[in-house]
Amino acid sequence: MKFYYFHLMPYIIDHDAPSSWVTLSNRHYDPAVGHRLYNQYLDQLEEAERLGWDGLCVNEHHQNCYGTMPSPNVMAAMLVRRTSRAKIAILGNGLPLRENPLRIAEEIAMLDVTSGGRIISGFVRGISAEYFSTAVNPTHSRERFYEAAELILRSWTEEGPFPFDGRYYRYPYVNPWPRPLQKPHPPVWCPSQGSSETVEWAAKRRFPYLMVFTPIKRIAQIYGEYREACERNGYKASRYQLTVNVPIVVAENDAKARALAEKHVMWVFNVGLRMHPPFWRPPGYMTEASLRRLLANPPKPPSELGFEEADREGYLIYGSPATVRDKLRVFSDELKAGILCSGMTGPSHEQTLEMMQLFAEEVMPHFRDDARIDETAGVGR
Amino acid sequence: MLQDGTGSPLLFLHGAGGGGRWLDFQALLAKDFTVYSPSHPGHGGSPAAEWIEHISDLAFHYLDLLDALGLARAHLVGASLGGWIAAEIATMASHRLASLVLIDPVGIRMDGWIYPFLFAMDIPEIVTTVFHNPMAALALAPPDQSAETLALQYRQGTAIARVAWNPHLYDPLLRRRLGRVTAPTLVCWGAHDKLAPLAPCGETWAREVPGARLRVFADSGHVPHLEEPDAVAAAVREFCQLHGGLA
Repeated sequence: MKFYYFHLMPYIIDHDAPSSWVTLSNRHYDPAVGHRLYNQYLDQLEEAERLGWDGLCVNEHHQNCYGTMPSPNVMAAMLVRRTSRAKIAILGNGLPLRENPLRIAEEIAMLDVTSGGRIISGFVRGISAEYFSTAVNPTHSRERFYEAAELILRSWTEEGPFPFDGRYYRYPYVNPWPRPLQKPHPPVWCPSQGSSETVEWAAKRRFPYLMVFTPIKRIAQIYGEYREACERNGYKASRYQLTVNVPIVVAENDAKARALAEKHVMWVFNVGLRMHPPFWRPPGYMTEASLRRLLANPPKPPSELGFEEADREGYLIYGSPATVRDKLRVFSDELKAGILCSGMTGPSHEQTLEMMQLFAEEVMPHFRDDARIDETAGVGR
Repeated sequence: MLQDGTGSPLLFLHGAGGGGRWLDFQALLAKDFTVYSPSHPGHGGSPAAEWIEHISDLAFHYLDLLDALGLARAHLVGASLGGWIAAEIATMASHRLASLVLIDPVGIRMDGWIYPFLFAMDIPEIVTTVFHNPMAALALAPPDQSAETLALQYRQGTAIARVAWNPHLYDPLLRRRLGRVTAPTLVCWGAHDKLAPLAPCGETWAREVPGARLRVFADSGHVPHLEEPDAVAAAVREFCQLHGGLA
């Protein structure tokens, strides 16, 4: 199994506002605290490379305390120059949120060239709330996503200049300098929440599929759908096309890990993902068919998720190194996920670093039968 | 499309949430007019129409409807979103309109007012913003909270978002085109409208549409035709009688 260290870069606060997204006033953001946090978080990502993680992950979110990386490419740029081996996975850029998605093609190419070809380029639509903070029309989300992806992929693979005349994006000259180093282009990943349209789209293009913060039963179901879609498209999914993101807390013993998980992981769900209900469901963001599937089995809002339920449903992993190894076997052996994208959250920067070290020494080596395999070979492009 | 009454043809274009409903207002109008009350595509359970991507598509859609009904001229009454569509129609084809009644329309960019973002409101917030008398909102309440009802509401929200998410509730080109309207126009406004307040919104419409008359309804918010149906229907009747007549 490959290990990618995933960071949200949260701004951890307790507040009573009805939403941690879009409307939570930025008066709560203290730039002096932000200065310390950004630098600690970047230190953690750099340390992850030293400790043996295969990849480092950043991501895009807007106007919230859950994740303070409105531009993941900025953070990736800092990591490129401070690391030398690990892949840098941008999970991802919100394609439909951009008015000029060619800028994404340019920035990823800059990062890929500078890093010597270590970039993984996630393509996402952005979560529902993002359509409120960027004012992009959610009814255009899916079409803009497909169109921007096509534009970016063509700009990386076809010799320029060429004209592009889409429904949402039009350019008389597509001719970005630089071109990416990786051929035919940096691997593309699709972090998603399991809409069947995205599963099909990703499977058709061999783009790895990443499930973020999802109960284990649903991961199993979506992986099944993805594998079937791959077969429909005439090939068998590689395990490195199936990626999972689950928060992990490891400590000397189960009791200590549980106490940490209850406090710090549950903050992500209960506070970080607290959202004014209309922000979850902007009109047209989902197809009506997807909405009907969702209504048939409505998920609980993360802010109402209790620890016992989160534990039972497999939203997180916590425990001693031995317990964490056992729980990870479910992902590696039963779900056959090839890549684990997970971050650690301790009560302090120092304790997070200690937790990372414990994981790297006591857990990771037990899953390294694929150490010589390049997980990006033949997938994502 | 719902239809009733006898007399001159009157096309009523509903606002958000009003699709597929024959309410007191239409019933009162049907005493004097042949009232045609279509549901906008995607509203009131009607099928979604993904080709609609701009408010002018809806305006053309209703000009096509007038053709299909064989109506060379009709009185046109539109409320809120329906008022916006009606105003677009009037800039395109005033010669098809015996008269135009706009009830708290949205649709133009205001100086000194930004419409509160409707799509971010939950139901209680919408009721507070739209209604002066919240009891009047009961007429628009969904029958239940079943998955089917929620899916139809989502379809309706999607239909509105396609034309009104950004710019929110207006067409940047409409305001300067209002000078083209030649149909006799009555602008009806709820004195307590919190979505589009009388000042500046109602006053701007009355100024921008050539020769428009403004009538204010003292006990209404954004939807006077639902909050004071008798008074608004009487105002419509009186105005239409002056312009083109009832029969």
